Amino acid sequence: MAPSGNVADPPPTSTIDSFNSGDTAENDIRPFFVLHKASSGSSLHGKPTGNVKSKRRIESPNPKIAKRSEVESVEEGDSQFFSTTRLKVFDTVWSKIEKTIEDVLRYSNSKVFSGIHDWIRESFESIVSSGALRLSEAVRSYPVLTQASSKQLLTAMVLTRNLEMVDDLLTFEELELHLKSQGCHVAKLSSMDFSAKSGVGGCLRVLLRQFVMPTVDVVDVTILASWYRENQNHENPVVIIVDDTERCCGSVLSDLILILSEWAVKVPIFLVMGVSTAHDAPRKILSVNALQRLCASSFTLSSPAERMDAVLEAVFLRPCSGFTVSHKVALFMRSYFLCQDGTLTSFVRTLKIACLQHFSLEPLSIMLEHFCQDGINQLSDEGNGLLTEATMKHAFHLPSVTRNKITRSTFEMLPQFLSDLQRMPNPWSVVVLCIYEVGKFDKLRLLDIFCETLDPEARYLKYFSPSATVNFQSHDSGRSSVIRRVLHKLRDLSPSQLSTLLKSWENLTADFSEMNDKVMELHPFMRSVEAVGQRQGLPNSPKKHASRSHSKHEKELKAMTDKVAAVIEFMLREYMKPVESVPFQEIVCFKNVDMLQSALLGDPRGRIQSDLLESHNILHCVCCSKRGTNLLPSMHDTSILYTLAQEHADVINLHDWYQSFKTILIPRSSKAKPKSKSSSKSKKRKDMCEEPEAPTETLIQARFCRAVMELQIAGLIRMPSKRRPDFVQRVAFGS
Amino acid sequence: MPREESSKATRRSTRSSSSVTVENAEPNESHQPTVDDLTFGDESITVDAVLSNFPGRRSQILDLIRLVGPLDCPTLPLMIYGSASTGKTSVVLQVLRHLSRPFVYSSCRTCYSPRILFESILNQLFLHRKCSSNGYSSAKRCDKPSDFVNLLREALGNVIESLESGSETSRPDKSDGKPMGKMVYLIFDNVDLIRDWDKGSMILQFLFSLYDVLKMPQLGIILISGLPPDVYYSNMGYTDPLPLYFPEYSEEDLRQIFLRNQVNRKLYSAFLDVVLKPFCRVTRRVEELSTTFSSLFRKYCEPLDDLGISPNEDMKRRLYSHLKPLIAPCLNEIFRVSSHPHDGVTRGERRQKASYGSENREELETLDFHMSTSAKYLLIAAFLASRNPATLDASMFDSTGGMDNRKRKRKASEKSMEKKEMAEQEAVMKGPGSFPLERLLAIFQCIASVGDSSFGEEEEEEDEDPTGYDKENNNLMSDILLQVSSLCDAHFLIKSGSCPLEGSIRYRSMVSEDLALKAARSLSFPLAKYLYRR
Repeated sequence: MAPSGNVADPPPTSTIDSFNSGDTAENDIRPFFVLHKASSGSSLHGKPTGNVKSKRRIESPNPKIAKRSEVESVEEGDSQFFSTTRLKVFDTVWSKIEKTIEDVLRYSNSKVFSGIHDWIRESFESIVSSGALRLSEAVRSYPVLTQASSKQLLTAMVLTRNLEMVDDLLTFEELELHLKSQGCHVAKLSSMDFSAKSGVGGCLRVLLRQFVMPTVDVVDVTILASWYRENQNHENPVVIIVDDTERCCGSVLSDLILILSEWAVKVPIFLVMGVSTAHDAPRKILSVNALQRLCASSFTLSSPAERMDAVLEAVFLRPCSGFTVSHKVALFMRSYFLCQDGTLTSFVRTLKIACLQHFSLEPLSIMLEHFCQDGINQLSDEGNGLLTEATMKHAFHLPSVTRNKITRSTFEMLPQFLSDLQRMPNPWSVVVLCIYEVGKFDKLRLLDIFCETLDPEARYLKYFSPSATVNFQSHDSGRSSVIRRVLHKLRDLSPSQLSTLLKSWENLTADFSEMNDKVMELHPFMRSVEAVGQRQGLPNSPKKHASRSHSKHEKELKAMTDKVAAVIEFMLREYMKPVESVPFQEIVCFKNVDMLQSALLGDPRGRIQSDLLESHNILHCVCCSKRGTNLLPSMHDTSILYTLAQEHADVINLHDWYQSFKTILIPRSSKAKPKSKSSSKSKKRKDMCEEPEAPTETLIQARFCRAVMELQIAGLIRMPSKRRPDFVQRVAFGS
Repeated sequence: MPREESSKATRRSTRSSSSVTVENAEPNESHQPTVDDLTFGDESITVDAVLSNFPGRRSQILDLIRLVGPLDCPTLPLMIYGSASTGKTSVVLQVLRHLSRPFVYSSCRTCYSPRILFESILNQLFLHRKCSSNGYSSAKRCDKPSDFVNLLREALGNVIESLESGSETSRPDKSDGKPMGKMVYLIFDNVDLIRDWDKGSMILQFLFSLYDVLKMPQLGIILISGLPPDVYYSNMGYTDPLPLYFPEYSEEDLRQIFLRNQVNRKLYSAFLDVVLKPFCRVTRRVEELSTTFSSLFRKYCEPLDDLGISPNEDMKRRLYSHLKPLIAPCLNEIFRVSSHPHDGVTRGERRQKASYGSENREELETLDFHMSTSAKYLLIAAFLASRNPATLDASMFDSTGGMDNRKRKRKASEKSMEKKEMAEQEAVMKGPGSFPLERLLAIFQCIASVGDSSFGEEEEEEDEDPTGYDKENNNLMSDILLQVSSLCDAHFLIKSGSCPLEGSIRYRSMVSEDLALKAARSLSFPLAKYLYRR
């Protein structure tokens, strides 16, 4: 091998391929683009990449990209200014949303947290009051001889009620902070610390590192006992949090529990175990001896669906950032939450992506900044300052504006529209919350109600048509429509439920006099219904005596529910203006569900396949872009092989495959040429890929092997089995 | 115990001034351990006190005292064995307390490796205490048994020297907590755990031969084990320790034990009449019984206003009928979880929940934790893959439906029926079958498409938008491998040993039929239709 080849051709920066080292054909093999730096962002940003080799092949700037950017930047100066401001506004908007979500989550956990703390305090007081140990007693190695029950380890089982742990990592971190702020000694262990490899010593080490000091030579629970007796440490309880019990190695956790329980009298330890499925999950992983040492009480965190509703209410229905999503996006997010992941973390991520995409797509989204700040007046002054001629033009070309036939002549009304958009709570959100209040009686989820009420065509209104009310009993399939179920449930409510409902409605509609009036009108009727109910006495009194008044009461109740239904119908008809039907809604509302989907569901396998088949889209080399359908020898080997593989069924004969690969690499015209030594030729071949000389047989074989290997690594084929040594199997089909 | 109190008072007044104070009333940072700390610490107690503390252990206690022997008399190693919670450790400690002999205790539970075991013994003999000032380090670093022997000899020499000097100055007073005699006893608790250690058999042999190796008559070794001595002996040329067996308590012993510290003995005795017999059939471990009994006794006393009364026959009967329904479930329970009143739910809500008892029962039928739809389908698919034979997959998930095939198979001769029964029993013994990932994914795709089509119809009815349905279908299919791993994490699936021929990982579903049915119900998926019943 000629040393000059190395000098002229620096090794690829992106790939270090040990497979190829020492091979004579080292310099001939092109860098491996497929797996690593497929696009290297060049198509996104229009910048040349840092890759030395690809740079040489790419004809930059790409005409396509340039064209697109031209279209985009009609106003060059403005767009620069706006893109930076948009990013800034995105930061403010998103930080506001994020903070809201954090607050909601913290609030939803606070009750359970204080419950756990109270439990710890109470138990600790009772332990302390039962008798303090002296120092010599507390650190000596043999057990304190008291009753047998003293070996019990007090345990709190925190049920997270979600299969996935992601949401609760933060929860347990906050629990740790909460307990620390209350003076407890807290250590947090995760399933990583309970590995069978490091055994019980490993988790004790992590424990001591958090309590005592970072470097302890030999870890031993006696250290914990000695530490606990120093510096007034014994005035506070010791809490150990294990956040994902199910994922721990059962034997190690059992060992730890047994050891700690032997020392439970000397060091009062409280174990907090996060359990994601059911109460009896510890029974599946712990040994019997360890189970008997646990004295468990259970605490239940709010379920993901409940948290989801709380987040939804705070972000979209209460005054927050002003950012909102369209019906389709909401449906997508809902199905993603229900079908795909089921964690709040992924929902928040979805929301963030949606928000970011909204800001990157919509120039006018900068106005959301003013929505974040509370003052309405600001908008009319400062907001207009931002509205340059260009943006105004854009604003009046928004589809929602043209649809509503708002023209430039109504320019003065723009602030009016915007402040309407901005107003929060708006009538729509109030009505949604009112419906949710009813839905709570039927355990409906706000998520479902939210999705249905966002529908711009307001299809739910058809349930009010007389025909629907008559026969909605018959085709009530339970899952179909939420609003229908709400209306159905409304008629089943008891008087006491109705009165609580009315009270909550009254509070919700306080800002909107028309709705509030309607709700207030119901009160006298409600009173009369209640009065009848009281006269009738206890609801479970014998029916014989009360049958007459009972029927009267029923009648009153029926009239009452009719009136309530009429009110909710009125609300739905008059005030349900989903955000998508409001002019200028594009400023605040994100609608592009396809972009969101492609951002979320990467589909990496399909991506690999399509990239392999159309490698020229990424490599942008001159020769391949005009190749049409026929394969060229200058193409990437892996790409050639994969394209050839498309002709085969689920098994590929290696020999055939190799032969066809060879015919592509050696064009017919060049076959007659005399063969020269590979090292000098190969270097040459690289420099001008239009006219390659035919490589030698060994070189082709090496390139073939390498390409097959790459396909295997990419998970597209499986190597030949012993049974059929001549065939490789295709694993992935279609893209 | 009043006896102890009085003796403590006398001891304080008669303590000899030459020795360092053994115990300070309050914990003191500068407290230095002395040789005196090697005894039980408290004042010694009489034989009668020991005997009365351990009902049903009279012969064992007397045997032990006899085996330990009189003052300064060399003893052979002892092995005390018996099943868990039969009072082995407590008896040994109390007997040594009674005899006021200095001893060193280390449990192989707490000391989970040889190094920690050795260092723990040496720390106690060197009178070394881990604290922040010495960085919680041990007195001597000791990894190997050979080092341990040398260091132990050195440490024992020191201790015995100081014991001799101490015994010369102090009077031989029985009631004092001071060490008596010139012997030191090493107590190894939970010796059976050593067998699971890395190189455990070597350490065990070392422990058994320690007495012969050291050749120090001043050393006594007591091994406490949950397993009988036969499992350890291997004729390696050392003296076998003298065995002492602690049998399980009899029912009468247990009654005595539980009656010991009760305030109202009559009431508790009535309670024991009810519960002791059924529970003794399940377990005789004091530890287990005491936790169960304490909660049951609380229930037992619930109808009573005054806990001091002695119950008559009528009341006993009444209390029994109150308790009776609670006993049976407790018998089968190993692990109890009590719901705490502070459980994030306010009082009012709790009451509401209680009033809707029937609704709660309904909730039991549904899953009480959240799973995404695709995870549920995957769970069901795994359950099916584990339960159904792989050969039936094609007919089960055929588009024409496998129902006809199955019915044809039902008609079979007597002989084949017998064969099937055998196969069924075999399957029960084998447990859930294992399956490769490909099969799981194939079944998943089949059942998810079935479930999805029904879901999709409704969507269309509402949306009139077929593209939305397509998207949802795609949604369900991606990121499946992620869900598989999270199911594995939750122990719903386990990765079992890979097939040696193929080299690929096989999975096994660990969910009960109950859970699978619950998951299927929440999706309204007809699981029973797909289950192959033999």
